[in-house]
Amino acid sequence: MKGHLTERELIEYQFKLASEGLAERMAGHLQECGKCRESLERLKQKFAALDLLREDFEVSEDLISQVLEQVSEPVKSKVVSFRRPAWIGAAAAVLLVGSLLLVAQLRKSSGPARESVRGPIARQDVAQPAPAYKPLPMERKPFGKAAKDEGRGAVEGLAGVRKRGLAEEQIPEQPPFAPASAIELVVLPRRENVQITIYNSADLTLVRERRNLTLKKGWNWLQFMWANTLIDPTSLHLEPLEQRDKIDIQQLVFPARLRELGRWLIRSEVGGQVPFEITYFTSGLSWRAFYMGTLSADEQKMKLQGYVRVANNSGEDYENAQTRLIVGQVHILDEIAKLARRQYPYGSPLPRAAGIGGRDYAWGLREEDREKVPLLGDELLVGGLFRDAKRFHRKEIRKEGLSEYFLYTIEGTETIPDKWGKRLLSFEEDEIEVKSLYKYDEERYGQQTIRFVSFANDEEHNLGKTPIPNGDVKIYGLADREGHLSYVGGTGIKYIPVDEEVELNLGPARLVEVEPTLMGFKTANYVFDRNKDIAGWDEIRTWKIEITNTRTLAVEIEITRSFGTAYWSLKANIPYEKHDVTHARFKLTVEPRSKRTFDYTVTTYRGVREEALTE
Amino acid sequence: MENTDKSLIDAHCRGEREAFGQVVRRYGGSLLGYLTKMSGSRELAEDLFQETFKRVHEKAHTFRGGRLGPWLFKIATRVALNGLQRRRRLRVVSLDQQLDCAEGRNKESGAAAVADNSCEPSEEVIRAEQKEQVRQAIELLPEKQRAALVLAYYQQLSYREVAEVLGCSIGTVKTQMYRALRTLAQKLPDVSGETK
Repeated sequence: MKGHLTERELIEYQFKLASEGLAERMAGHLQECGKCRESLERLKQKFAALDLLREDFEVSEDLISQVLEQVSEPVKSKVVSFRRPAWIGAAAAVLLVGSLLLVAQLRKSSGPARESVRGPIARQDVAQPAPAYKPLPMERKPFGKAAKDEGRGAVEGLAGVRKRGLAEEQIPEQPPFAPASAIELVVLPRRENVQITIYNSADLTLVRERRNLTLKKGWNWLQFMWANTLIDPTSLHLEPLEQRDKIDIQQLVFPARLRELGRWLIRSEVGGQVPFEITYFTSGLSWRAFYMGTLSADEQKMKLQGYVRVANNSGEDYENAQTRLIVGQVHILDEIAKLARRQYPYGSPLPRAAGIGGRDYAWGLREEDREKVPLLGDELLVGGLFRDAKRFHRKEIRKEGLSEYFLYTIEGTETIPDKWGKRLLSFEEDEIEVKSLYKYDEERYGQQTIRFVSFANDEEHNLGKTPIPNGDVKIYGLADREGHLSYVGGTGIKYIPVDEEVELNLGPARLVEVEPTLMGFKTANYVFDRNKDIAGWDEIRTWKIEITNTRTLAVEIEITRSFGTAYWSLKANIPYEKHDVTHARFKLTVEPRSKRTFDYTVTTYRGVREEALTE
Repeated sequence: MENTDKSLIDAHCRGEREAFGQVVRRYGGSLLGYLTKMSGSRELAEDLFQETFKRVHEKAHTFRGGRLGPWLFKIATRVALNGLQRRRRLRVVSLDQQLDCAEGRNKESGAAAVADNSCEPSEEVIRAEQKEQVRQAIELLPEKQRAALVLAYYQQLSYREVAEVLGCSIGTVKTQMYRALRTLAQKLPDVSGETK
């Protein structure tokens, strides 16, 4: 090889990136060339730093069980591909056509079809084979074309809603008896969209989901299951979003012996697909906010990013959910999780009739609490929840209530599977002007300097659009010119309303030190009483305060000194302010990498000498 | 006798829950290490870890035998690259990474120094700083380069296996690897503790 190995060649040699022939030639050269061997050694030393990250990672049992939890569904069956002879295709086509003809023949000869739709919450097909099926009263008297239409069921739904007047067909006025089995049920289809509103303070989440239900004209039963979830069955509410004048939600029943399911009775004057909104409360969803601030190099500006972490332990997956978060206290009467786990949504069905139509929501509550039931705003918020409860006093907290807490909406939609947590960016603001201040106050912080960063949640600071919820803040500074960050400090913040100022305590600052030294102490001006006993005196202390700033930036520092008495006077070689009756405060700036010293002499008055100060 | 990877995956396909647990335990550590280095954040890595095994579960029937490790890394890489693309905005300013680092630094400078009397606390601090520099240097690499480096260097996969995982040729892997090393050579701290 000619000349010495280049850095590229050395890297290629060391990491076996070169071809075999080239590697052999390089090895030969290295045997002969001491300089290249030295270069290689240096390179090895350089890359030895990579081994600092060579560490064993242990997977916690929690994480393993979370993984196993999410894979509890059966594995998809294996698909084996094979070459199909041409005759298989032909045979399949013949079979398909034959089957279609057979189905068409059967449809003509049989009565109305039943719904068999998979419901995501039910997670099972609830429609059962029905050998002993008896048509409901309305179905015993089919009216010509209407009977045919009813028989089409979901097929008709795909074609859209058909509007037909009552004059054309009659719907029996008497609702059918609540089915004890799952025959003749409409089961919830997949969600079209879902919105979740998490009230963190009360372990309460309002879920509003939209589903397209296929109804037949007449009476429909709709089944909703909440097994293994934390849904509060007493809060279930169903509302058609179209054809409201032709669809009436009559009642919600909780059949005895069938646990964790409810059935709505719906009277519909139209047949076909209708969008519905289902609202309910659940628990198990929570969120927390946290923030990251990055200070600019001169520490005059800060970039602030707010995050929320949403955790879902509700037992239900929420796909593509619009997520809204409520900050503030919500008053609730019952824990949703307890309601969800009750055997009967409204207590045992035996002594009294169950269902929202049969009793009001405040059943079982103390008398004084009945008036406190919050509706969490208006129909907009809860989709008209509890509208049927006429005795209910609708609290006038809609507007006022909203001023008590604040609603955050996460942009776009998010999928939050059960047992998962998800971190979302809630806001990001650049160029927030901040003020750095160091404080030294032995009474509050001991003998250490504490660093503070302050800013305001207002427009002047590029904020002020919304209040900032409670959360932890971590502040980082730029460690070098390449943009690497270094951790400066962290603290928790409480709810910051708009236009309020916030001061973040970032903890002890090691690079700015304050060292007070007592330079002199004497007593003077003794006063004696009649008995020649001491009745008063002055104590005079001289202090030297030395501030050391080893940072590369000038710092502003506030030093608070306590005198332990309200009777004191002070002489200092720098300005000070009387902070309160027993404290004085000095504010000064210390240049980068420098020391600054000041002195003060404080005289405290004891006994009758206290009067000398007032005089 | 220890079950082979293939027998475990087959058992899982038959619905034996314990088999999947064994796979997670067998490969979990190295996968979590890989995802942590790829994402720069332990918390994010745990999210990706769960997502990876979810996909492994869904795709279990497509495993044709051979070494399970590269197959798992292939899935993990797709999950990580997708996940990181979505969180690209977070990458530079990853809070958790900084948190991890900050916590790690504290732990090392405090607890480790006390536990290991042979090391001066100052050395521990320097070591933690160096570790942090290495972590940041790797995090700043483009994703493909980072994946090649982590798989080949830390996970000890051959270049052929890395190529299989990343779905590219061996030549491409070597190019990515060289570029990653060239960048790192400028950014890695010296053993003396100084950075260029």
